[in-house]
Amino acid sequence: MTGSVLTTGQAAIILFGGFFLCLFLRIPVAFALALACLPPLLIEPRLDTMTLMSESFNVFNSFILLAVPFFLLTANLMNVGGITNKLMKLARALVGHFPGGLAQMNVVISFFFAGISGSSTADAASMSKIFIEAQRKEGYDDTFSVAITAVSSVMAVIIPPSILMIVWGGILTTSIGALFLAGIIPGLLIAGAQMATVHVYATRRGYATYPRSTLVQLLAALSQASLALLTPAIIIGGKVFGWFTATESAAIAVLYAGFLSLIVYREMDMKGLYSALLDTGKLAGVTLLCVGTASVFGWLLAYYKIPEVILTGVSAWGMGFYETGFFIAGVFLLVGCFLDAIPAIIICGPILAPLAKAVGMDPVQFAMIGIVSLAFGLVTPPYGLCLMIACSVAGINIRKALKDVLIMLIPMLLVLALIILWPKVTLFIPSLISPEFLN
Amino acid sequence: MQTSMTNPTGMWRRFTAAYAAFLNHLVVVAVAILVVPVTVQITSRYTELIPAYIWTEEMARFLFIWTIMIGAMLGVRNAAHFDVDLLPAMGPRVNAAMRIVSRLGVLVIAVIFVIGGIEFTRFAWNRTSELAELPLWLIHIAWPMAGVTWLVFMAEQFIDDFRIASGRTSDQ
Repeated sequence: MTGSVLTTGQAAIILFGGFFLCLFLRIPVAFALALACLPPLLIEPRLDTMTLMSESFNVFNSFILLAVPFFLLTANLMNVGGITNKLMKLARALVGHFPGGLAQMNVVISFFFAGISGSSTADAASMSKIFIEAQRKEGYDDTFSVAITAVSSVMAVIIPPSILMIVWGGILTTSIGALFLAGIIPGLLIAGAQMATVHVYATRRGYATYPRSTLVQLLAALSQASLALLTPAIIIGGKVFGWFTATESAAIAVLYAGFLSLIVYREMDMKGLYSALLDTGKLAGVTLLCVGTASVFGWLLAYYKIPEVILTGVSAWGMGFYETGFFIAGVFLLVGCFLDAIPAIIICGPILAPLAKAVGMDPVQFAMIGIVSLAFGLVTPPYGLCLMIACSVAGINIRKALKDVLIMLIPMLLVLALIILWPKVTLFIPSLISPEFLN
Repeated sequence: MQTSMTNPTGMWRRFTAAYAAFLNHLVVVAVAILVVPVTVQITSRYTELIPAYIWTEEMARFLFIWTIMIGAMLGVRNAAHFDVDLLPAMGPRVNAAMRIVSRLGVLVIAVIFVIGGIEFTRFAWNRTSELAELPLWLIHIAWPMAGVTWLVFMAEQFIDDFRIASGRTSDQ
């Protein structure tokens, strides 16, 4: 039928079985995916190991993915260049007087950060360095500090600009401008849900509060941070009004962050710049190698027509609009436990897209269900990058922090349910500003 | 290891450290330059300052591939490639043994990258890129280079973990 040696079923067992076996042996995910691809590449006479290289070459050779290093660099420049400090002061003036003031600031600054950078891992890394030690000194429980730092960092991929939206738009040809706009309301809802969670924790456990800032202090903090807060408007506006492409908007974010760091705030030295560039290169390499091998994996799935078999099986269930929405969210939540978000989009996005289309779901809503679900995957073990980063900074085991993470995810899951049940949550703003992008 | 600076293993370790430092500098330069072609692209679209070069996008993409591959090379040196922890906590010696097992997996891919990568590079030997007309092997060679670099970096990691697993040195 397919003209291949292995049947669809055999190939599926080898690919998925091999991948999970390698994961179990603690082989890094990028290499586990490549190893799982090896048997088919060696068995099939029409394929060879060069496919491993040529397919990753093809996916790296795309202008879209360039946004990944750019957003990482933006985040790193913000930290060494004093932008994060300015946002910190503003967050202090805004929410410092709430119960658990420092933890509230943790959420609010991740919200601001999310509007400038599109990388959750960068957010988790920088916020962990700032907040975990500070919260420890003020008597917060370590597990709570780790959980709130990791969980709040996922906003970076939900609130525009976002690496995931750019990748999703590129792979599934959905308007990135519309996705940027669609992320605004879910982002606000998730920030609200997190602040409410912190409030409950802080009042029950009696976490510290700061004295209320005066109006003058608030205005001073606001004016100092105003140039940084302008970034989202430039990036999102530029993309939506078609001044530049998604990747270019990420480059603009780098240039603007560099401009603020070097010329306006002048807090960056050569050493800071060097470490910002080095961290960017290292993290981008590690993240994207995995994207490369995942695309070979996805390519082999398609070669053996595995997605089609899965689709036929699932279509037979005859799910309606809401069932399909929850099914899509469930798949991405599950896959997100084992894979990073970009590889998950590459492998599962094209499989699920026809399901969403069959029930008449708008591609933008479909994308937002996927992206928000995958964002949760950043803090769910065994493979939750943001949680892993926060735990390693705090020096505690992931298992310890798990309970608090799961508690914090509950209100966020309600937001996800709302996104599925009420399409307006994602489609309202895009329909106001750029209705031509919606179907 | 106090005496290691004079013996061959010490020399080797100094070489790998220097090589890693070199790759660090290289990736810093690559990331810094990466912003340039994209900026040129935007600038040329909205101003008359510079002509609209057609090769800027291709330049950016090729430099990007090298950035990824060098970052991935350093990832093996720093054990920064993310893995998934499905097993319960174990002692330092078992952990070292597990690291050896997982590195064997990386080793297989490194060897494949070297062997398949040489073919991959030869395949591109006479081809040039569409826009900037760069020789394509300059890009393809990043894969075998990554394979070789991983092998170089992994040798001492195998030795160290083998010592811990066999109980000759304690995990620090």
